[in-house]
Amino acid sequence: MDYILDGFAVALRLLLAGDPETFSAVWATLSSSALAMVVALCVGMPCGFALGFFSFPGRRAARLVVDTMLCFPTVVIGLLVYLLLSRRGPLADLEMLFTIPGMAVGLALLGLPIVMALTALAVEQADGRLRQTLLTLGADGWQVLTATLWEVRFHLLGAGVTAFGRIVSEVGISMMVGGNIKWHTRTITTAIALETGKGEFAVGIALGLVLLGIAFAINLMLAFLRRRARA
Amino acid sequence: MTALFSLRGIKRHYGGRLALDIPRLDIPAGRLLGVCGPNGSGKSTLLRLLAMLESPDSGEVLFEGAPTGDLRTARRQVTLLLQEPYLLSRSVAENVAYGLSVRGIRDEERVRASLLAVGLDPDLFGERRRNELSGGEAQRVALAARLAIRPQVLLMDEPTASVDEESAGRIALAARTACEQGTTVVVVSHDREWLDALADDQLRLKAGRIVA
Repeated sequence: MDYILDGFAVALRLLLAGDPETFSAVWATLSSSALAMVVALCVGMPCGFALGFFSFPGRRAARLVVDTMLCFPTVVIGLLVYLLLSRRGPLADLEMLFTIPGMAVGLALLGLPIVMALTALAVEQADGRLRQTLLTLGADGWQVLTATLWEVRFHLLGAGVTAFGRIVSEVGISMMVGGNIKWHTRTITTAIALETGKGEFAVGIALGLVLLGIAFAINLMLAFLRRRARA
Repeated sequence: MTALFSLRGIKRHYGGRLALDIPRLDIPAGRLLGVCGPNGSGKSTLLRLLAMLESPDSGEVLFEGAPTGDLRTARRQVTLLLQEPYLLSRSVAENVAYGLSVRGIRDEERVRASLLAVGLDPDLFGERRRNELSGGEAQRVALAARLAIRPQVLLMDEPTASVDEESAGRIALAARTACEQGTTVVVVSHDREWLDALADDQLRLKAGRIVA
């Protein structure tokens, strides 16, 4: 039990002292996650909105594909991205393997179906009277679309926050595509896995506390967004 | 008198069930028409056809002599107040202003006047959200949003179904005032007494057909 308590004490000292190695992992996590989120949101939200808002042939099949991608094992995503970016892969010229942008590609693939599925769900579950109300107030097609987007805005933000929560705590993709390189692509999760393997629990606990803090902030934001969505 | 709406040989089915069957109906301009009938008699279907939210399976609905299917602009002349109002996730004033904003009009005075017309104080209610309103207040805000656009036709589907007596009275007064200002009003209601006191003319539907 003592080594756990000692681990917490050292972890707090590392955090309060601004330990560079610890904060390097925090920075790698936040930068790769932020890049991934930009891609997931820019691609996922319009696609998810179209999936939930419009009726078109193949919509159900597309929805099934997106829902299936939600269950995609992260190590398989990591493997695919690794194969694409590796020296013998078709995207080798981009030289993105073992880089933050390379990790972001894999993480974006993880976040994309989450953003798409939750966006489509938010639009589908918008009150059936919304479209009638907008039409009977004189809105044209584009105005109906933009007003619907505005009506579900907190759900869309919730989709983004949920995807961020998943991306920031991911380990398989970061490990395989990033390579867990110290000072470079070592993230919070890969560092925890490594330090635990080495028996260095203090750094692991310190990083775990940071991750818990991020998770708490995300959940706080989700709770706030849910409350606003009802207003 | 020129008919504002002319319905010719209208049939509308839902899942094989005949919901509406009107061989001929003319709705004159500038009148307040009451529509009554039991559940499933086709009242709401009639309103949805007049609101151009749906098209008939056969027959045609003419608005000012032209088929409604060809009239994109006609939709902006006709508005429908739903039985259960839906208010947008924004303030009461912004809800009332929405119909104006989609027409490129910004007129705060008209928003205030519309709220006053339904008996709501703009200073008291203007900044409230939909979750801060009672059912009757929400219905009155929804009506104010329709009055603000000064429609040629105001369709109301059971506007007093879930409101208190005061709100029902305010809604009736607002409908009558709108009619006197030139708006053609069509009101569907179960409340015969309320409708008798309000409507210039009445139409009775049963099993999708006009019976009186």
